[in-house]
Amino acid sequence: MNKPKIIKRAFEIMPGGLSWGIIILLILLSVKYPVASAVIIITFDFYWIIRTIYLTTLLILAHHRISCQKGEDWLRRCLSLRPEKGWTQLYQLIIFPVCNEGLEVLRPSLAALSKSHYPKEKFIVVMAFEERNPLARNNALVLDKEFSGEFGAYLSAFHPDNLPGESRTKGANATWAAKAAKKFIATRNIGCEHVVVSCFDADTCVEPEYFGCLSYHFLTSEKPHQASYQPMPVYNNNIWQAPSFARLVEISSSFCQMIESMRLEKFVTFSSHSMSFKTLVEVDYWPQNMISDDSVIYWKGFLHYNGDYRVVPLYITISMDVAYSSNIWRTMAVQYKQKRRWAWGVENFPFVACGFLDNKKIPLFTKLRRSFHLLESHVTWAIWAVILVLIGPLPIFFGGKFFSQMAIAYNLPKITGLLFQFTLFTSLTWIFLSWTILPPRPKGVSWLKNVILVLEWFFVPFIILVLGSSPALDAQSRLMFAKYMEFNPTLKGNKVL
Amino acid sequence: MPGWLKKHKNYREPCSFSDRVFQRARSVLFYLSLLLFFGGLPFILSFALGYKFNTHTLKFVKTGLIYIKTQPEGSSIYLDGKLVPEKSPASVQELLPGVYKITLALKKYYPWRSEVYVEAGKVSRIDKVILFPLRPDLEQLNQAGFSSFRVDNERGEIYYLDQVGRIVYKSSLDGSNFEDIASLPEKFSQINGWEVSADKTKMFIFGPHQISVIFFDDRNDYEYSDSFVYLDYPQERVIKVFWHTDSYHLIVLTNKHVAVVESRPLSKTVNLIELNKEASEAFYDNKRQVLYFSDNQKGPDGTSYNNLYKLELSPELYILERLMKKRGDE
Repeated sequence: MNKPKIIKRAFEIMPGGLSWGIIILLILLSVKYPVASAVIIITFDFYWIIRTIYLTTLLILAHHRISCQKGEDWLRRCLSLRPEKGWTQLYQLIIFPVCNEGLEVLRPSLAALSKSHYPKEKFIVVMAFEERNPLARNNALVLDKEFSGEFGAYLSAFHPDNLPGESRTKGANATWAAKAAKKFIATRNIGCEHVVVSCFDADTCVEPEYFGCLSYHFLTSEKPHQASYQPMPVYNNNIWQAPSFARLVEISSSFCQMIESMRLEKFVTFSSHSMSFKTLVEVDYWPQNMISDDSVIYWKGFLHYNGDYRVVPLYITISMDVAYSSNIWRTMAVQYKQKRRWAWGVENFPFVACGFLDNKKIPLFTKLRRSFHLLESHVTWAIWAVILVLIGPLPIFFGGKFFSQMAIAYNLPKITGLLFQFTLFTSLTWIFLSWTILPPRPKGVSWLKNVILVLEWFFVPFIILVLGSSPALDAQSRLMFAKYMEFNPTLKGNKVL
Repeated sequence: MPGWLKKHKNYREPCSFSDRVFQRARSVLFYLSLLLFFGGLPFILSFALGYKFNTHTLKFVKTGLIYIKTQPEGSSIYLDGKLVPEKSPASVQELLPGVYKITLALKKYYPWRSEVYVEAGKVSRIDKVILFPLRPDLEQLNQAGFSSFRVDNERGEIYYLDQVGRIVYKSSLDGSNFEDIASLPEKFSQINGWEVSADKTKMFIFGPHQISVIFFDDRNDYEYSDSFVYLDYPQERVIKVFWHTDSYHLIVLTNKHVAVVESRPLSKTVNLIELNKEASEAFYDNKRQVLYFSDNQKGPDGTSYNNLYKLELSPELYILERLMKKRGDE
């Protein structure tokens, strides 16, 4: 193994090693030194509560920004820009990488796109099918017939299977489509710098104002090519039909993304996002052998521009499907796999760390800060639920008679309980905010569902147990032992539009 | 937002704040949280470890705590004569190490008093306190005089034996359904023990040399059954009698034998074991149908040893019958 490979392996081992190290250390401390363990647990509990209150406040601010910008006529804003901003020259390239999603998923996405409040002749839509999907050609034909007249250009790309240097990932498919689009754009004499590319999940339904909002931010941003543009993902497409368990998880995911949008120095692209096509070409497109293409593309830009690259949050929602299955256990499995795939974003750490070692132009402080943020977020994800739920009671369990006589043994559950009562207030906030981002209740769905939507929040402790840390620990352990994951598209439920 | 509000002269677009303003607000929040964490953590940890901040000396002092739990709950807690705001169950925290006089008081209950030693950083637990009522809830169950009683928990019945009036009564556990169910035989003067059979249709009483089986009146009137069974032991002294599980046989411990006898007139006693000891003890396990009894045994050196024996009587019932039949034939 050569030196760069050894360094990369070391960075791959680091997150999982740290997470497991902390967990094992705390278990050993609980057995050998229960007082020390109790002190650490109380410290962590207190940190977690302060963090929850802080993040909930950020969520309120993000939610406030989304609410304020709702109903905004972004197209009017674009039209009012000075001509030198280049509004008239701007094109929107929209790529939908499709794995094995069927027409019932793709049709609503294109329908939503066609309802955009934006000049559709500026749209270049590429449906990126996988050649290996036997239904791909047929689906392409059907969609072409239905939607090709709706946009400025409508292309169907078919990504061949098993190309050298590629894995079966969404990034490889999107890259193939982007390259095809580049050729098409060249034939139309459109400069790459005048094209904004959006890479959407197949089930992404945009709001009518999305492209107006995106264009406005692109045209008015400082260094627009050195930024990615991130809308707020919500999972409203089938939220009224999805089971409570899945709905809660996805609402929480949306909220996490909203919170992240308020922490600009840590903000990284996630799922459906947009960016300058020129930059995409310059950074050599999305990674073709990594699962977390959505975040890696940000880091590619960050490294390419020597740290002068950012994510601009767009306080406008895009809607996707809640992942669920036919029963609660299958839904749990689907959700678990989806969260593990998201947690596989930990592969960004070795990518970024190696990139930082190679790049001498990024300031050391920036490198350290960004690496720490990345590592800390993944390690915290993998350990927080384990510490709160499983390790928390261990000092009392293993402490024995001597420990049970200590004041801290008596105070540990008392303080923990008291601190968590504070989180009740944050939970109420989350319940209220989740209510406000819901789409209108479709006909045929009982009003009782409104009550269930509130009551289902009592499932949170159960969800924390199942999906809190375990997918992240799973993903980190796989990376640690070089058991690399393959892209496994999430099973999505039916849309109700 | 209603149109009229937008037109109002003081109306401002709520989102006119720039990203910079939001980021500044976030920074303030972040540093506030940091301050709260590092400011609050020492107090939380010191509280958890049992430290108390002395505002006079500006130092942390290690304290202990007392955890109090009473039955019933809600008693007032007096610590060295001072009333503590909390009521039991409660923990009295931040106590300097030393001995404390504790009084737990609850209206209509006897107070509980004790001294407790509080150690630094430790919990002194007083969690097994039962407060007894000043006037316990007494309820008279019997509706007639009696000499002794038996409680049958399984059936929820109480049996009363009136030796003076020579009547047996029965009631429910709460004293209701009190009724007389049998009369005692006239000639029986000294009753050393009695027991109701498992089928609840009869009872035995025994004196030094006689056992009598009395059948309960099941017609629910005042005409007592006059059918008594007398079993006499003129040569032996009856020490203990048990009902066998079948509610028919009696297991009799005398000063000479362990014997069984049927509860019918003229039945013959079968001596199962001959005893060396005059005053043996015995216990009959009704569920397992095992008799435990003690007896003496002489060793080769002439020394007498007291032994405990176990006699299985369960599957042997038919053996007993066979044995008794055989003895009867003899």
